[in-house]
Amino acid sequence: MARMKFICDAERCIECNGCVTACKNEHEVPWGVNRRRLVTVNDGKPGERSISVACMHCTDAPCMAVCPVDCFYKTEEGVVLHDKDLCIGCGYCFYACPFGAPQFPQAGAFGLRGKMDKCTFCAGGPEENNTEAEFKKYGRNRLAEGKLPVCAEMCSTKALLAGDGEVITSIYRQRVQRRGKGEEVWGWAMAYKTAAKTAPLGAKT
Amino acid sequence: MTCYFGALMFVTGAALAQQPAASANALAPAPAVTAIPPPPAAQAPIVSAPEAPRIAPTLPAGSTANIGWNQPPKWSEVEQKPQYASVPGREMNVLVEPEGHWWRAVRNGPVTFYGGLVLLIVPLLILVFYAVKGSIKLHAAPTGRLIERFNSAERMSHWTMAISFVILAVTGVTTLFGKHVLLPVLGPSAYSWILAVSVPIHNFVGPLFAFSIIVAFFIFVKDNFMSGADFVWLSKFGGMLSDKEVPSGRFNGGEKVWFWLGVVLLGTLVTVSGLIMLFPNWNTARELMAQANLTHAIGAILFASMAFAHIYLGTIGTEGAYKGMREGYVDETWAKEHHALWYDDVKSGKRPGMISGVTQPANGDD
Repeated sequence: MARMKFICDAERCIECNGCVTACKNEHEVPWGVNRRRLVTVNDGKPGERSISVACMHCTDAPCMAVCPVDCFYKTEEGVVLHDKDLCIGCGYCFYACPFGAPQFPQAGAFGLRGKMDKCTFCAGGPEENNTEAEFKKYGRNRLAEGKLPVCAEMCSTKALLAGDGEVITSIYRQRVQRRGKGEEVWGWAMAYKTAAKTAPLGAKT
Repeated sequence: MTCYFGALMFVTGAALAQQPAASANALAPAPAVTAIPPPPAAQAPIVSAPEAPRIAPTLPAGSTANIGWNQPPKWSEVEQKPQYASVPGREMNVLVEPEGHWWRAVRNGPVTFYGGLVLLIVPLLILVFYAVKGSIKLHAAPTGRLIERFNSAERMSHWTMAISFVILAVTGVTTLFGKHVLLPVLGPSAYSWILAVSVPIHNFVGPLFAFSIIVAFFIFVKDNFMSGADFVWLSKFGGMLSDKEVPSGRFNGGEKVWFWLGVVLLGTLVTVSGLIMLFPNWNTARELMAQANLTHAIGAILFASMAFAHIYLGTIGTEGAYKGMREGYVDETWAKEHHALWYDDVKSGKRPGMISGVTQPANGDD
């Protein structure tokens, strides 16, 4: 079974925000929620690079570990999804996530959080695949339709790669060999090698 | 060909850079164009093109950037610093915030484990103490004459604080430990519903509790300044082990410790940390909210442990104590045995507010 991952090739990303827009459009996410965002480092200086960030679907996902109602689950493809029927909007996943992926629509006065919303790797939620209910809560389930995440498919420079970790790393490796730079894949150490970071303190669940 | 374009673009760029006003004039018609010299690429031999432009820009002091053109940054050096992001919102421009890992490890690890242990062991110890020593009974017979110990404002303040504390403790403990205790029993839907109710209750009762401790502070502070007698009381553990109670004022050393460390210190800690988490619209940083969450949990667990002792001594642990806070009156014998110095003060008229010698409480319900 494929293990789904994202790679953002910073040597290619031109900060067009196409992925952000594609995502918002595809899933019709509520106002104020951005499942994906662009961060530009060294803006206006030599070595400027942009990274498109969303949920990285971590191996040892901190959001899953801290959720007080245990509303997260991992699919067979390694995609971290959550059940909005169980979510209570406490914001703990937001504290725990290193990538700032969890988003909360405002649900009332004093900035009260609604149910959390985040990137689903275009894989919907616990509802029946491609139903109205699933679409309303989680957006389109493209994986169930045999398609890859819309952000990567829409990427004009193919900087954003989404799919089986082995396939996208081999594509990336070829690119690095050809251009001779940019070999460091951003975010992978944080997302897929987190066990060592929390192990000394004995956090398990 | 690539070299040719590279040289062309560099020279054009350099020409623009020499014209600071160029960007300002970008919208203005024609003149800006004349400022740019004709492309020198035609004259310059293509072979020498790579040589000339390879001069790195001067870096600002302290810059860690590589000298040279367009090398990608080392991600570990830039990803945790604020950068540029077009999506608005706090910390949207930070790629990675690793502090969440630390919060998760401490909260899910020691706070949950040792915190849970403390909340189990403390009541157990109190139960053992009760089984061994029993409740502290009056030695002499009640006189039937009553002394007012708490007036209605004091009682109202105390019970507002007490009831809201218990509600907060129950809902708070459910939030931290329910996942390990209730969730496996009740299943995800029922348990999620319980938390969906508990959390708003906690959030609304919290500010009431905060308000009540501020009121309680001003009401009770005058009788809670530590005196020499209190240190004697504390050093002998109040005489609770020897059955010879150490004389104390209106409040004994233990009660004063509860006041200062419990109500004042821990009360402030949980209130401030709670308010930080309560208002996400205050534009609070995630790291601060995570730290507030740990402070809140640790403070509340200590607070609850002290509360166990206070509740025990105020109810089954001391005969007549609960009635004193419920109705406001205690028997003279109770006052003499538990708060001898206070009793003397009341009797000698040093406490004009306290009525002594009545045979029936003012509300007459007993």
